[in-house]
Amino acid sequence: MLTVALPTGRVMNEAIDLLYKSGLPVKALEERGRKLVIEESGYRYILSKPMDVPLYVDYGVADLALAGSDVMLESGASLVELADTGVGKCRIVIAGPSSLEPRFVAHESELMWLKVATKYPHIADSHFASRGIQVEIIHLHGSIELAPKLGLSDCIMDIVQTGKTLKANSLKILENVAPVSLRLIASRKSAEFHWDEIENIVKLIKSAGR
Amino acid sequence: MSRLPKGCINVGGSMASAMEKSRQLFISSFSSFGYKPFWPPAFQLLETAWDRLPESMRTRLMAISTPFGEPCCLRADITMAAVAYLSAQHTPEERPLRLCYSDRIYKVPQPPATGLETFQIGAELLGWEGGGADVEVLSILLKSMDRIGISDAHIVLGDAKIVQKIMDGIPSRVASKLILCLEKGSYSKYFKVLQETSVPKSMLPFLEALPHLKGNSSVLLKGGNLLGDDSIFKPLSTIGEELRKLGYGDRISFDLALTRELNYYSGPIFDLYSPRFGKALGGGGRYDGLLFKYGIFGQAIGFALDLKSVASISSFGHDNNETPAVMLWPGTLSPANTLKSAWQLASRGCNIEISWTSSKEESIRLTRTRHMEWWADLSLDKITNIISGEKFSLKEWNMGGCKCLR
Repeated sequence: MLTVALPTGRVMNEAIDLLYKSGLPVKALEERGRKLVIEESGYRYILSKPMDVPLYVDYGVADLALAGSDVMLESGASLVELADTGVGKCRIVIAGPSSLEPRFVAHESELMWLKVATKYPHIADSHFASRGIQVEIIHLHGSIELAPKLGLSDCIMDIVQTGKTLKANSLKILENVAPVSLRLIASRKSAEFHWDEIENIVKLIKSAGR
Repeated sequence: MSRLPKGCINVGGSMASAMEKSRQLFISSFSSFGYKPFWPPAFQLLETAWDRLPESMRTRLMAISTPFGEPCCLRADITMAAVAYLSAQHTPEERPLRLCYSDRIYKVPQPPATGLETFQIGAELLGWEGGGADVEVLSILLKSMDRIGISDAHIVLGDAKIVQKIMDGIPSRVASKLILCLEKGSYSKYFKVLQETSVPKSMLPFLEALPHLKGNSSVLLKGGNLLGDDSIFKPLSTIGEELRKLGYGDRISFDLALTRELNYYSGPIFDLYSPRFGKALGGGGRYDGLLFKYGIFGQAIGFALDLKSVASISSFGHDNNETPAVMLWPGTLSPANTLKSAWQLASRGCNIEISWTSSKEESIRLTRTRHMEWWADLSLDKITNIISGEKFSLKEWNMGGCKCLR
């Protein structure tokens, strides 16, 4: 039996839809109620917070998972990334008030000691540190767009899909960091022990994503 | 409360016992094949470590200055210390050198890990070439795992040379990207790089198949067919065949895309897994680059395992905790006479503990607290089963039912 971790929240319905289109069993998953572990036709689904999904795979608790590339980057977990499903496409960006724009087009030294609010402190750190820029990272867990508005930070690093939330909070995209989408991942151990089954699922998911 | 530094842990109780027993069995397995125990210093001079480690490892070194003012780092890798030892203290005539070790290493943790120190057990066969060395190390490794109670240990074999050789025919910038993707396990990015860049057409079928070439020895045949030449897979097929003859055929598989972050591997490489543990227990392989950096021409093979992971699934783990079975109470006996009796019982194979208290009640209470089955009053020469209340003369007691009876 393969154990598959799935993210709860906004992306969960898209993940279930993808599994359905791939021909994987999802009936019990759709009728899950409050259950967090659901078994169905040779699959065990684990439902967890998106940020925790890569950890379940890294520690070998789950064989496979659908996880956002943002949380994969943030967790630093050691995984095998099998396929980009193309589902849930969005971007990680730096956004801030338009008054900040001149600093982002000027010399990079102008960005020193910028205060960046984000729920992705590791990605923010490596994004700026790799360019030799030291910034102050403020780790928040939600409503990131509030931070510059209330003076908690100069700008934010967050995911953006349509840009409507940014606009509503008078924020502008200042820099693109990385594209984000739902990825099919496997634990390194499972990739060695269950490759034939996993390879088959990769094919199904890839064809469903097209 | 006495707090420990973040990233450090005390290991005690049943885990410490399991680790010590696993360590003993591992070292004795390799010692019986001529592997000498090796204890390198915890400090390494930065000047000797820096150039010999890849950048990814350098950023994880824990630098420190000794009281003598020498810039050092805490040992992050025992293989390097073993090669330095071979280079400095052994003449070419003394090779091969066989070493086994059990020690701590120190590295800046990579998320999600948080530990600063890990316990490693490992072995190195330095200065010997050819398949015999690989088979020797791998077979002793599997045998030692059997003794530790991990009889489902499974080796995944690859060869650093396969990826290196294939990438030789590709522009170096593209090759670096592809190798990095394989190291990081980013297969979707690997295929994207293949699509977006021009690689020689003759290489494409093999490169496209590479991440999929995992499983039993049939993947070596598939690889050979795709390349039109199977000579590059010969070392792996030889190791596989020899291990099969030793009865380990169902405990090895192959992964032709297996790579190592450490750039000094130059031949067969491997990871060790157990179906009962979520990650690799450890790994290793054949290397020559590191020896060369120490001025030695030749090859070596070595590996390291995480002792805590090994112990957690050993037959000495939490569920198999072997507590001392007999609590000895001296009563009116002198310490010397108490210890004489204790030695007699210990020599019969019984795990014992002495409660030096003068209070009989306190000694019995401690026996119960420790979940021990037997309590002995040495001054009266009597032993009592704490659970059933049965009493025997110590001399006549045949240790029946004593859990520690070996």
